[in-house]
Amino acid sequence: MQIRDYLIRRLMVLPILLIGVSIIVFALTRVGGSPIGIYMSHEMTPEEVEELEDRYGLNDPLPVQYFAWAGGVLRGDLGWSGVAVAPVTQVFRGKLAATMELATAAGLVAVTLGITLGTFAGARRDRLPDHLTRVFSVSGSSMPDFWFAIVLLIVFWVYLGWFPVGRSDPAIWASIAHPTGLYTIDSLMAGSWQAFRDAIWHLVLPAITLGLATTAIITRMMRSSLVEELNEDYVDAARAKGLPERLVLKRHARRNALIPTMTVIGLSFGFLLQGTVVVEIIYQWPGLGRWLADAVLRGDQATIMAYVLFTSVLFLTVNLAVDIIYAYLDRRVVLGS
Amino acid sequence: MTSTAAAGVSAEGATRALVASVQDLSIHFKTKAGMVHAVDGVSFDIRDGETLGLVGETGCGKSVTARSFMRLVASPPGVYAGGKIDFWSSETRAAGGGPVNLLTIADDEMLDIRGNRIAMIFQDPGKALNPALSIGNQLAEVFYQHRSDELLEPLGPNAPVIIRRAANQESGKVERVLLKLPPLRSKAAKVREEVEDHVAAALAETQIPNPRKIMDRYPHELSGGMKQRVLIAQALACNPDLLIADEPTTALDVTIQARILNLIRELQQRRRTSVLYISHDLSLVREISDRVAVMYAGRIAEIGRTDDVFRQPLHPYTRSLMAAVPSSRNKRGELAAIEGTVPELIDPQPSCRFHTRCPYAAGVCGEVDPRFLRHDFDHGVACHIYDEPAELGIRPDELPSYERRTR
Ligand SMILES: Nc1ncnc2c1ncn2[C@@H]1O[C@H](COP(=O)(O)OP(=O)(O)O)[C@@H](O)[C@H]1O
Ligand code: SF4
Ligand SMILES: [Mg+2]
Repeated sequence: MQIRDYLIRRLMVLPILLIGVSIIVFALTRVGGSPIGIYMSHEMTPEEVEELEDRYGLNDPLPVQYFAWAGGVLRGDLGWSGVAVAPVTQVFRGKLAATMELATAAGLVAVTLGITLGTFAGARRDRLPDHLTRVFSVSGSSMPDFWFAIVLLIVFWVYLGWFPVGRSDPAIWASIAHPTGLYTIDSLMAGSWQAFRDAIWHLVLPAITLGLATTAIITRMMRSSLVEELNEDYVDAARAKGLPERLVLKRHARRNALIPTMTVIGLSFGFLLQGTVVVEIIYQWPGLGRWLADAVLRGDQATIMAYVLFTSVLFLTVNLAVDIIYAYLDRRVVLGS
Repeated sequence: MTSTAAAGVSAEGATRALVASVQDLSIHFKTKAGMVHAVDGVSFDIRDGETLGLVGETGCGKSVTARSFMRLVASPPGVYAGGKIDFWSSETRAAGGGPVNLLTIADDEMLDIRGNRIAMIFQDPGKALNPALSIGNQLAEVFYQHRSDELLEPLGPNAPVIIRRAANQESGKVERVLLKLPPLRSKAAKVREEVEDHVAAALAETQIPNPRKIMDRYPHELSGGMKQRVLIAQALACNPDLLIADEPTTALDVTIQARILNLIRELQQRRRTSVLYISHDLSLVREISDRVAVMYAGRIAEIGRTDDVFRQPLHPYTRSLMAAVPSSRNKRGELAAIEGTVPELIDPQPSCRFHTRCPYAAGVCGEVDPRFLRHDFDHGVACHIYDEPAELGIRPDELPSYERRTR
């Protein structure tokens, strides 16, 4: 079977998964308290509550409610966010961009650094670089993120004043247009070096905090699978051909070591999203994570639903991407399915 | 053995040049329990154009010996503890040059020899191919590595540097992108076509049907026998002076074994390549080898022409091996049927390694390393039975003898 056929097959399953996810998301909010809780106050009479419920169709049969909601989602209507005091869709884009920018920065750092460090350590097994890397990966994955965030904050913001918190300097932010909502991209599009620098400067601390644990996990996985691959016969066979060690490592061992590492990278994406909540709160990053935390505390169900639905779709997409890369790296997957 | 190997000429009487001469090779492994003397003072010659069989029980050090030709013994834990391996490549010989010591030459010289002048076929074809690369790409690497001049020929003498670097597998990331873009793309494609022609021709040599189709396949799509053919094609791609075949049929079905063996023999005869053929299967070695070296516990016990060794085995270990082989000619016997087990090779004392199992062992066998003695024309043995009592400082009746079984 060709990779293309495999891809088409995987894409065809996607809509079915999406419908399943939407049903689960809808059901979840019906288990966790009243959807209109955020609009109710103690002074309301039962009649007023009843009227509110009628207005939002909460007394209709559940399937009717589901289709009403799902129809809205398809039309781009995700309801009203009580926390943001605006329609969810209106606020969502900006916050999504903020979170994506942070998660992407952290993810890019984690993947490149993790693979590089893991390869470096694995190729120097049981020598000093390997031991140092192990110290890094063990401490990196066991340090609580909120603690690490606060330490960085105290040292680099409060004490040294090297890096700022928040997402941007308001004056610089206002000076450029924001077509994508990704500050780094916008500043480059505007051709403003000052804005780009500002964007990067604000990203450093939260991205390091968010990416640390993931870097550590990817490093460890890459290291151990590379060590394993280096013991395989085909590596010696590659050496026996006269290939220099550089090619033996890159083209042969590392390529195969990436296969199990890809799985970890795919999973770590969820880890990153999860981490954004704490990181965004501590660094005052105006993203989805902080918004979600507020929404949960105040029972803002429209926001929670939008968040869960969105992250689920994101997950499915990332998983698909990982599977495709996986199939590309390991041809046996394609044949076996 | 009185070796005149230094001159590149075998003791046989200056009739046949040598391809390789292993002298007193010792390779140890550092383990928690102590030094494992996996190869412990091994000497043998490989003559030009011959097939030398190296036979012995599993774990006696055959693979370690073979790998040391290409310096493929991992170190650590391996330690190249002594000796040397002289090698005469056809090029240096044509230029009238002397041998190089494979254990001490510079790394880049070694890279130039690996896969080019010395090639290796591994025991398990299923594991010796990279599962993530197509057959064509894996074979192409050999040509890129050692035959880039031929690949660049169609482009004439003025091929751009980037193309040259690509043909030598030296391209960086940026260069690889440039090679896909118009001015260079067509030139890169020419090199690619050339390498594919080379690969297809190499595969056709091993009687693989439809080589062009096989090139796009991945290893898991091929049978074991087919994979071994691919590996043979890969090993012979650059027409090496020495082919090391380390149990090339052990992992294959019995029906395929004979075909692969015939293929190796046929290619060897056609190209006059020297072969070091390793096996634990005595009858197989008898079939394919001109000479046989019998190895036991990291040492050579006996070496001689195949006919001589099988007609008149000198070493008690060789005799036991033959007794263990089923007598009817075509049945394959394995070497397990000797009583006792191979001794631990950790920090061994001077002794004949076989003395724990030898039916004729005498006191001296457990105390003194037997010397390697030339018993007959082109037939040597390391056993005290053939030694001089005076050399050992013992009385003649203290010498072990075939007349006296001790167990
Ligand atoms: N990596 C290693 N570490 C420790 N000992 C080893 C290692 N590789 C080989 N040996 C030792 O070398 C001996 C010979 O191995 P090998 O050459 O593979 O045997 P053969 O090929 O004859 O079956 C083994 O018995 C083992 O004790
Ligand atoms: S007789 Fe002695 S030296 Fe000869 S093989 Fe037996 S134990 Fe070794
Ligand atoms: Mg072996």
